Amino acid sequence: MKWKRFGSKPGGYVWALLDPAAHVFMLTIIFQAIARAPALGVSFPLFFATGYIGFQFYQAMATYLNGAVKANRSLLSYPSVAPIDTIVARYFLQLGTTATVGAVVLGAIIVWMRMPPELTWPAIIEAAFLASVLGLGMALVNNVMFVKYPLYEQIFSIVNRPLFMISGVFFLPDAIPHPYREIVLFNPLVHVVMQFRVGFYSEYRAAGLDMPYVYTFAFLTLFVGMMLFTSSSALLRNE
Amino acid sequence: MIRLEQATKFARTKGIKKPIINGASLVLQRGKSIGLLGRNGAGKSTLLRLIAGTIRLDSGRIIREGKISWPLGFQGSFQGTMTGEQNVRFVARIYGVDTRELIAYVEDFADLGPFFKAPVGTYSSGMKARLAFGLSMGVNFDYYLVDEITAVGDANFKKKCQVVFESRLQDSDVIMVSHSTATIRDYCDCGVVMENGKLTYYDDVEDAIRAHDGNMKER
Repeated sequence: MKWKRFGSKPGGYVWALLDPAAHVFMLTIIFQAIARAPALGVSFPLFFATGYIGFQFYQAMATYLNGAVKANRSLLSYPSVAPIDTIVARYFLQLGTTATVGAVVLGAIIVWMRMPPELTWPAIIEAAFLASVLGLGMALVNNVMFVKYPLYEQIFSIVNRPLFMISGVFFLPDAIPHPYREIVLFNPLVHVVMQFRVGFYSEYRAAGLDMPYVYTFAFLTLFVGMMLFTSSSALLRNE
Repeated sequence: MIRLEQATKFARTKGIKKPIINGASLVLQRGKSIGLLGRNGAGKSTLLRLIAGTIRLDSGRIIREGKISWPLGFQGSFQGTMTGEQNVRFVARIYGVDTRELIAYVEDFADLGPFFKAPVGTYSSGMKARLAFGLSMGVNFDYYLVDEITAVGDANFKKKCQVVFESRLQDSDVIMVSHSTATIRDYCDCGVVMENGKLTYYDDVEDAIRAHDGNMKER
């Protein structure tokens, strides 16, 4: 069930690695053609990989968890299996997957650099953890809402699609002019990505980074998600 | 023993709310196998799920003594992307039985050959039934909840089921849903007829079958 993450495709689990590596490679090619240096540091691959992996701690989590109950509905006919079990199992599997992929992709890039960066592990772990909590909270809400309101699923996918563009993966919010910067900073994922980069760039000042805001947002979402999920257990089981 | 006290459960579909079990009280004694009879949509499968504990009553309560199986139906409790073997391993773990022993038992009983290591999603309904039946028989329960499963499968498999089942029924009971009165007669000592949200218990399964047939003739 839960460990069949990439089970149906040829190559299986390897795709978990190839997919982000290919993304970083593509971004590097495109942006190297239009800019002389990345917005931060000197390495294009490191800049995009830090953005992409930080973002993935949320995005891959939310995507994988959104279908958790639906994909494992048949297992709910065992009395000892509860809907939340499918979420918890997928949460840990995805967290481990993204962490491993991140370590391999970022590790490979850093090994190739002439001047390897000094890592600030607390910032990296904090950002990854908060991103995953955000994904978990959203997914708890979505697992219920997708069943209750099919229309919501459509709307969510439309809103969710440009998230990659506006979350500061390939730009720095620090560089955006005054009124727009504040708007961009409403997105908690922007802060997550900033904090993730703080862990890799000791010179990065991350102007506007507001971690209390991310904590509040993440745990509020988690709380609402848990309330909704718990109160809808009959709905999740019966269908 | 399984005891229902003032049990009420509503079926809700698209805004329609209809009681399937309406304030029913019932005692099912240990040592007797029970056949559940009722027309289509009477709520027989729902009652099995309530007894198993996968869904909850709207009011009242169910007191269970003894180890009760999950409801064995041909719609399956299997995760389609996992192989038969992985599904068996999953059940072994959640019920706390020896993994290797259960896999060996089910592999032998279900007789799926190489398909045992293929995703359950690729199975036919007969294959799924074989896996489900073998799996539940590999775990010791006091009560087996069986939902029409013996109807699937060929004559050979049915015979095999009967042999294992009968040896299991020495010290376990079965609560069975079937539209085949012959099957009910074969396995059950007493019967419960579900009609209009009421549960009527009959000490003799023949009486239950007669009452059910009477209900069916009425409308």
